Amino acid sequence: MVVCVKITVRAYLVILCVTEEQNLVKELVALSTQDRIWAIRDLPMSVDEKKHIRWVLTDKQLKVMSFVVSVILGTKLKVQCLFSQSFRRCGYNLRSARQTLELWQGIMKEIGGTFGTSVLSYFVFLKWLLMFNIFSFLVNFGFITIPLLVFDPSPNIPPNVSFRGLEILTGAGYFQYTIMYYGGYSNETLGGPVKYNMQLAYFFTIAIYMVLCGIALIFSMASSFKKNYVLADPSSNKAWQLLSSWDFSITNERAVRQRKNNLRESLSEKAQRRQLTLSEKLKHFGVYLGFWLLSTGLAVGCGASIYYLYAANWSLLQEAKTLLVPFVVSLMNLVVPLFYSLFNKFEHYSSQRRQIYALVVRNVLLKMSILAVLCYYWMNVVAKKFSCWESMVGQALYRLVIFDFLFLMLGSFFGEFLSNVIGTRLLPRLGVPEFDVARNVLELIYAQTLAWIGIYFSPLLPAIQIFKLFILFYIKKVSLMKNCQPPRRSGRAAQMQTIFIALLFFPYFVGSLSMVAYTAWRLTPSEQCGPFRGLNNTFSVVGVWIDDLGGIPGSQWVVWIYQNVIRTIHGIKNNSEDYLFILYLKL
Amino acid sequence: MGNKQTIFTDEQLDAYQDCTFFTRKEILRLHGRYHELAPHLVPMDYTNEPDCKVPLALIVNMPELKENPFRNRIVESFSEDGMGNLSFNEFVDMFSVLSEMAPRELKAIYAFKIYDFNVDNYLCKEDLEKTLNRLTKEELTPEEVQLVCEKAIEEADLDGDSKLSFADFENMITRAPDFLR
Repeated sequence: MVVCVKITVRAYLVILCVTEEQNLVKELVALSTQDRIWAIRDLPMSVDEKKHIRWVLTDKQLKVMSFVVSVILGTKLKVQCLFSQSFRRCGYNLRSARQTLELWQGIMKEIGGTFGTSVLSYFVFLKWLLMFNIFSFLVNFGFITIPLLVFDPSPNIPPNVSFRGLEILTGAGYFQYTIMYYGGYSNETLGGPVKYNMQLAYFFTIAIYMVLCGIALIFSMASSFKKNYVLADPSSNKAWQLLSSWDFSITNERAVRQRKNNLRESLSEKAQRRQLTLSEKLKHFGVYLGFWLLSTGLAVGCGASIYYLYAANWSLLQEAKTLLVPFVVSLMNLVVPLFYSLFNKFEHYSSQRRQIYALVVRNVLLKMSILAVLCYYWMNVVAKKFSCWESMVGQALYRLVIFDFLFLMLGSFFGEFLSNVIGTRLLPRLGVPEFDVARNVLELIYAQTLAWIGIYFSPLLPAIQIFKLFILFYIKKVSLMKNCQPPRRSGRAAQMQTIFIALLFFPYFVGSLSMVAYTAWRLTPSEQCGPFRGLNNTFSVVGVWIDDLGGIPGSQWVVWIYQNVIRTIHGIKNNSEDYLFILYLKL
Repeated sequence: MGNKQTIFTDEQLDAYQDCTFFTRKEILRLHGRYHELAPHLVPMDYTNEPDCKVPLALIVNMPELKENPFRNRIVESFSEDGMGNLSFNEFVDMFSVLSEMAPRELKAIYAFKIYDFNVDNYLCKEDLEKTLNRLTKEELTPEEVQLVCEKAIEEADLDGDSKLSFADFENMITRAPDFLR
C-alpha cells in the first residue's frame, strides 16, 4: 500500500517540475532516500541552496502525499514520512557515537598539521595494525581460550614452579604451563551443556583467522591501488607540482615555510639536470654494485650468525642464556638499517623515490634472512629435539616480541634524541633529523610478522602486540614532536602507502602463512602437550572430523568436497616436495 | 549532549546533517568557533535564523587557516558577496567541503574556483602566476614564473585554448592521487 502511494507521489512530482532547479528536484526524486541525501551533499552549491532543495523535496512530498492519502486512506502516510526522518536521525546518532569512540583523532590531526601527510601515514598505519590485532585477539580469546577457562579454570602447573618476575622477559617458567602457549591447551572434547571440540576449534580458528587476514589485506591493497596508483607521468610534472602537490593539511608555520622553499627549489631546478659523462656513470654504477653486495653480505652474515648462535647455545636450564638470541636479533635489526642509511648517503640516486626503494629492499632482505634462519632452526632442530616443542617455539617468539618492543622504545628515545643532539650541537651541518617513515613502517611490519608466525604457537600473542602498539604510538608521537622537524621534501604519500601495504602482504604474510601451513601439514605435534597430541599431523584432525561426519545424514556434500580437495592437494604434493617452504626461503 | 542545547532547533540540525558532511556534535562545535570569532556579532540563539556575517579579516586569522597560502581566496569563494564575509551557513559549507569526508570530485570543483582569481571559469596564465607566487613566497624571478606557468598550461591544456577549463583541471587531478587529502 505504501509502495504504490510512493510511486503515485513520484509520478505527480515529475509532472510538477518545470524550471532548472526543478529539473534537479526531478532527478533527485527518482532516487531512494539514502541516495538522495548523498546526492544533495555532493552538490556544488551553497548550504542555503541545498537546504532549499531539501525543503522542496520534503515539503512537496509531504503536501502531495497528504493530499493523495486524504483521498485514499487516513493519516497513515504522515507516519511513513516521519519514520524515514527518525530513521535517519538514528543513523546520525550512531555516527556521532562512533565518532566519540574514535581513538587518537585529536593527536593525528595535530601530527598531520605539523608534519604533513607522509608522516601521518605512519601513524594511520599503526592505528590500522592495532585494530587488526584487537580483532585477532578477540577471535582467539573468544574461540580458543574462553571455552578452556570456563571448563578448567586452574592451569595444571607442577608443584615446584612459582611466578618470578623474570617470566615477563623470558616467557618461560611459570608461563610455560598456562594458556599463554600451545602446550596449555587440552585435546579433549569439553563437556557441559554444549560439546566443544578443542582440537577442531583450535585448528579452524587459526585457519579462518589467517584466511580473513589475507582477504583483508588483499582488499586494502586493491582499494589502495585503485585509488592511488598512478603511472609516473613526467610530462605533467610542472602542472602537477603547481596545482596538486601542495599539502593543504599543514597548519604549522615552519612546515609551510619549508614546503614553499622546497617547491621553489624544485621548480627552479631545471638547470641542474645535466647529462652525466660515461666515466661518471660507470663510477656511480660501481658504487651501487659495491654497496648492494655489501648490504646483501651483511644480511646473509646476520642470518648465518644467528644460526650458529642458536646451534651453539641452546640450554634448557639456564634461562638467562635464552635471552641472548632475541637480544642479538633485535640489536641487528636496530644497527644494520643504520648502516644502510649511511650507505645511502654515499650513493647518488637520481630521484628520492629510487633511494627509498633501495633502502626498503635492503631492509626487507635483512629481516627476511633473519626470520628465515629462525624458522628453519625451529622447524628442523627444535621440533625434533624437545618434547613440548610448540611451547618452546612460542616462548622464543614471545621473547623476540618483547625484545623488539624494548629496542624500539630505546631506539626512539635514544636514537632520535641522540640524532637531534648531534644535529644541533655537535655537527650542525646535519641539522635536526627528519622522521624516517620508511624505516619505521618496516619495523612495524616486522613486528606484525612475528605476531602472525606466533599465532599458532602462542594464541595470546596478539594481546602483547596490542599493548606494544598502544605504547609505541605515544612514544613515537613524543619523540616526533620533540626531536624531529617536518620533512623537507614533499613525497608522494599516497603511493608510499600502497607500497607499504603491498610489502606487508607479499613477503611477510605469505611467509608466515606458509610457515604455519608447513607446521600443520608436515610436522608431528608433540606427544605430551597441546590440543593435537597423539596425531600424526595437525591436519589429520580434519580427517577425523570428516570421518565422524560421514555418519550424519545430510552432510555428504562436506565429505565429498573434502575428499576432492585432498585428492588435488596430494597430486600437487607428489610433484613438489617442500614446495611451500622453499618458496618461503626464496622470498 | 542529548536535547539540551538551545542554539538550533532539531529540524535545523537535521537539515544541516542532511546537507553537509558533519554530525550534530561537529555542527554545534562549529557554531562555538564561529561565535568565538566575533562574540558581539554572532548570537548564541540561531533558532530564528539571524542574518549576520563575520568579516573576512577575522576568519582568515583562525589557526586552521592562518598558514594556508590561499586563505583569502578560499573564504572569498565560499561567500555569496564575493568579498569574504561569511554567514554561518557559508562557514559550515566551507569546512564541510574542506573536511576529509567530502569526496574528491567536490573538492576539485571548489579548488578550481579557488585557483580562479579573476572568476572567469578558466585558469588563465595570470591565475597560475598568482598561484605560483602564493606558493613560493614570491622568490622566483618573473622569467621563471612565466616559464613555469607556460609549461603548466602546455602540459594540462587539452582543448588548445591556452587556458585551463574545468575539464582540463579535472583530468589532471585524476592523475594525482594525493590531491587535497
